[in-house]
Amino acid sequence: MDSGFIDLLRRQLKVDAATEIAADSPLRDLGMDSMRSIELLFTIEDTYGITLPDSELNETVFGSPGSLWAAVAAQLPPEQVAR
Amino acid sequence: MPDRPPATAPARDGAPSSAPGSRGALRRLFGGLPATASGRDLWAALGEAGLIEWMYPDGAVAAGVASERLAHVLAAAGERFSFGSTMSLCVQAATTLPLLAGGSGPCEEALRRALAGQAVVALAATDTTAGSDLASLRTEARLGEREAELNGAKRWINNAMAAEYLLVLARHRPGPHFTNFTWFLVPADAPGVTVRPSDTVLFDGSDTGDIDLDGVRLGNEHIIGRVGMGFAAFIRHIGPERLAGALWSVELCRGALDSTLRWLKNRPYGNGTLWDLESVRQRFAKSLIAVHQLQGLCDRLRARVVDGHDNTAAAMLKAAAGTTVNHVMETCGQLQGSHGFSTGGVQQLRAQAAIFGISGGATEIVRSIVAESAQEELDRLRLPAEQDVPLSAPVAL
Repeated sequence: MDSGFIDLLRRQLKVDAATEIAADSPLRDLGMDSMRSIELLFTIEDTYGITLPDSELNETVFGSPGSLWAAVAAQLPPEQVAR
Repeated sequence: MPDRPPATAPARDGAPSSAPGSRGALRRLFGGLPATASGRDLWAALGEAGLIEWMYPDGAVAAGVASERLAHVLAAAGERFSFGSTMSLCVQAATTLPLLAGGSGPCEEALRRALAGQAVVALAATDTTAGSDLASLRTEARLGEREAELNGAKRWINNAMAAEYLLVLARHRPGPHFTNFTWFLVPADAPGVTVRPSDTVLFDGSDTGDIDLDGVRLGNEHIIGRVGMGFAAFIRHIGPERLAGALWSVELCRGALDSTLRWLKNRPYGNGTLWDLESVRQRFAKSLIAVHQLQGLCDRLRARVVDGHDNTAAAMLKAAAGTTVNHVMETCGQLQGSHGFSTGGVQQLRAQAAIFGISGGATEIVRSIVAESAQEELDRLRLPAEQDVPLSAPVAL
């Protein structure tokens, strides 16, 4: 996952630097509720200048940092996706 | 940022006195309508005068309503028309039209007609389930390749009886996740749509109704915005509605306190009037301070709501408006005694205005949103660091 994306998640989830955000951490366990999920969606689309396709708007994609980053990365040009 | 009135205009007007939306112009416009005019009549008059478009600076409806302008319209309408007629303007201007502006095809035609005052659009979100639990709504949309079918029921929908169009929030997937909901534009005369008046005598002029949707089939061009963005789009536009509602509630409380003060000063008691009683003055002052606090909160949070799409700030306004209105109306009702029970008196307004604490997010729900950001909101209350405070200027909190 892109480090900028993890920082963005950390800000939205309001978790401190000591809290580990792994690709498979359930976002719900990190405090993600409906309202924060909506704010996260708008922040992601504004920050990366992308529109997530309808097919990616679902509970599975918003279930973990890894799945959400995969959906975001798919909308970015390859050179913008950190390895 | 919405256009601001020039410095010569009254500070809290939505427009300079010579502008189409000035209080004087609105009074003249509304003065041409009977006092019994419905919300639909008001909407038509505003549209014909170009004042619905005026509420969206630069014609950017999708960007949202200018809350101050809407509040200005509501205040002018409230001077002459029923609470219900005035209320019917609020959600339609603040939330319904901006949501509709996110659509294409038939949505564009509906928006054009609504802006001209030729059509009323009702926001049909609340289901038969608890309004405070929107995620459990049962209205379903079955999405096909070319069309969708809607089944369900909506309750307590403002403008429903007068609407040409309904904006219906439906789930296209089971479960409470925010991506499971989508908005649909439903012509009110579509086969399978039934609308009847809601069972209330309190909101005359609002055309509040209950809606049944039974196998309503629509082409997919009636989907508003993106599939799965229903909740998110709703949340994006509810902030300006909450700000406009809070500004309107200040005006409503001011009016109730003003009429109460006149009553108290003219009501004989002993050798003077009721206003001479210290207990009465104490109680009145407490309410007056509460309204000033609410107005101050509107000023303080405006930028966060309008420019920052800050849901916590909007929730704070909604919670404060709901509790302040209830407190002020209860005070005015008590101070006016039996006079308050006159037809159209403050006790009637008290029952109607209780809607501020219920509709569009009950007070308890919006307080929960505030509690989610408790630490950040506490931190915002800190005094600025000493080195940041100019000695010659007052501390701006």
